[in-house]
Amino acid sequence: MGEDTESSKVNHSFLRDYVTEADVISTVEFNHTGDLLATGDKGGRVVVFQRETVVGHKPKGELDQVGETGESGEYNVYSTFQSHEPDFDYLKSLEIEEKINKIRWLPQQNAAHFLLSTNDKTIKLWKVSERDKQPEGYNLKDEEGRVKDISTVTSLQVPVLRPTDLMVEVRPRRVFSNGHTYHVNSISVNSDGETYLSADDLRINMWHLGITDRSFNIVDIKPANMEELTEVITAAEFHPHHCHLFVYSSSKGSLRLCDMRASALCDRHTKLFEEPEDPGSRSFFSEIVSSVSDVKFSHNGRYLLTRDYLTAKVWDLHMEKGPVETYQVHDYLRTKLCSLYENDCIFDKFECVWNSSDSVIMTGAYNSFFRMFDRETGRGVTLEAWRETSKPRAVLRTRRIYTGGKRRRGDVGVDSLDFTKKILHMAWHPEENIIAIASTNNLYIFQDRVSPDTQDPDLGSNTI
Amino acid sequence: MEYKVEAHRIMSISLGKIYNSRVQRGGIKLHKNLLVSLVLRSARQVYLRDYYGGICLSAQQAREWCEGEYMDSEQDKLVPGSTESLPESDGQSEVAVDKQEPSNVVESHAALDVESEASGEQDHAENGVLDSGCSELKTPEESPEASPTCEVSNVVTTISSNCISGPPPSNPKQATETPNGCQTDDGESVEEKLHEPIVPHTCTNRKRSADDSELTDSLPKKTKVMSSTLISKNDEKKAETEEMDTSNVSSLITIFGSSFSGLLSSEDGAQPDSEAEDSDSGQICCDQMLKNLNPWSTAIVAF
Repeated sequence: MGEDTESSKVNHSFLRDYVTEADVISTVEFNHTGDLLATGDKGGRVVVFQRETVVGHKPKGELDQVGETGESGEYNVYSTFQSHEPDFDYLKSLEIEEKINKIRWLPQQNAAHFLLSTNDKTIKLWKVSERDKQPEGYNLKDEEGRVKDISTVTSLQVPVLRPTDLMVEVRPRRVFSNGHTYHVNSISVNSDGETYLSADDLRINMWHLGITDRSFNIVDIKPANMEELTEVITAAEFHPHHCHLFVYSSSKGSLRLCDMRASALCDRHTKLFEEPEDPGSRSFFSEIVSSVSDVKFSHNGRYLLTRDYLTAKVWDLHMEKGPVETYQVHDYLRTKLCSLYENDCIFDKFECVWNSSDSVIMTGAYNSFFRMFDRETGRGVTLEAWRETSKPRAVLRTRRIYTGGKRRRGDVGVDSLDFTKKILHMAWHPEENIIAIASTNNLYIFQDRVSPDTQDPDLGSNTI
Repeated sequence: MEYKVEAHRIMSISLGKIYNSRVQRGGIKLHKNLLVSLVLRSARQVYLRDYYGGICLSAQQAREWCEGEYMDSEQDKLVPGSTESLPESDGQSEVAVDKQEPSNVVESHAALDVESEASGEQDHAENGVLDSGCSELKTPEESPEASPTCEVSNVVTTISSNCISGPPPSNPKQATETPNGCQTDDGESVEEKLHEPIVPHTCTNRKRSADDSELTDSLPKKTKVMSSTLISKNDEKKAETEEMDTSNVSSLITIFGSSFSGLLSSEDGAQPDSEAEDSDSGQICCDQMLKNLNPWSTAIVAF
């Protein structure tokens, strides 16, 4: 589906573009300070990047660049570890994919960093810590750890801690397993810092970070008779400030806000956010395109951002009857839904993010394009995350899709969009205008070059 | 007519997706299969509604078809969440159309229709055969990881109990209403707008129930089989995440292997039926084939 727009494609590009399935990035997440960026891929690996500290400090990380102070703000690999392995459910004869569905960081409480990563069934809590000292001077072991010959030991020494090369250690601290029958699609850490929720297609569980052998089921929409199933849970998130509120989205396009103070089982929502369907736009695929693929609270906790296949919507928590803003992400695909259904693209789950001040929203599209919408002006801009057209520290230029009318140079026709290059996962730095975009196996990090405070869409890029 | 071809193509694609979901890594994706089943249902609505539009143009034709479909509608009705056709009167039909509410309206008629459906069911001896066949169809039909046989037996029990409870006296009432009874099932009023409304005013437009229920109505056996197929598809698909039946896998493979070829051959060998001259000849052929095939093949040939 989709043809290459550039005529300069030659044979070797095929090899270069060949992507191992396991390397495809499946989730991206900044931590709460923005210094760390974690990505998960389909092979079950997690790669953590760390931001370069201010000029003058020695860069940290496994790739030690001695002497190179580097640009402040660049992200380098900090640690890599295998989070999940392929598993097999013997009872149901089902293979469990090791693909990392979501990563969420915990708020930092000490020198170590904690993150939750989940695949379809199991959630794990990982501790990422640094070690820059190690004990030396053992009596019974030599420097390499081999046991010494006792006869060579003539005196005793007390082992001392000596500074050493920085090592990043990652250890699994908790494994939360057997909580879900269906595929886990979301995890969300509560603002109380002690609990988190995990959502699968039909149920949402609440866990305590310290307890792995049990969880509370807080939402259960599984019907008594599975034949009557009409909707599934697609995403869930805790409110950023209120530890008793959470929201979950459904495949029917509705959002439900639940208050855990009301009852232990939040099957009855406190608020239902639903937009009546436009009968004029009904088609075979109306249900699919209305399914919400991602829901995010705004940083101030007043708004919700949802993404369905063709639009991104902003909802006010105080108004249930419809969104306050609707942004068309790629409406030109509305007439192509049948083809997109055939090639399965219509099932793609795009994520959406807020910027730090909740004034700009961003979401992905096809052909390595992603879109940003300024909420104050309502204007949207299309940007491209593509290695060949962006060099380090080059300014991103806006792109346009040609849908009719006057065609400008550089416009891309709808039929020449590459639907294999989809931007599903992305993250926005919690405080600055730095965004991380995942495009298949590539991670792009763009920074606002001018000033961290402006909303200028011209971004400088630091690609990885 | 193009949208009928389109609907048919979408149905084929949807079935292919459901079939392929079986072999995908990570197990069956409930969300995706739910969406595919919704598309399949919508396409089927359009596909069959057009068929009924042709039927209802002739009352005589409608009468004959509707009588042959009682058992099918009975079958469909008894599936949970599905609704039934054949309103008692035009007045009721109009109510159904005007209300524009999915489940409530239809289900209110369903209760009234049960009697007529059941009586119609009893009128046809072959119903029993196809009933059991179709109920069996449900289980393995749409997904290899079929639900356990207990689900099948539950459906069969429901159907048979309803058959028995159908009161005979409503039979004459049934017969007189068949000319009006034939209706097209219009899942959403919007689909009417979307597709050229063929159905004459005498035919009712029933709203589909809000649940993920199957097409009901007085339908030819093919439709019935399709509906039960869809019904089974829906629940089976959902149940499949919890249960797997490897014996059904191989059965399903053989079924799907013959399904599309069966459908294509039936479309090629068109045998025009004078009773439903406006209908797709391929459908007529399918129907005729259905009467002769055993239940397993029946559902597949329908597609």
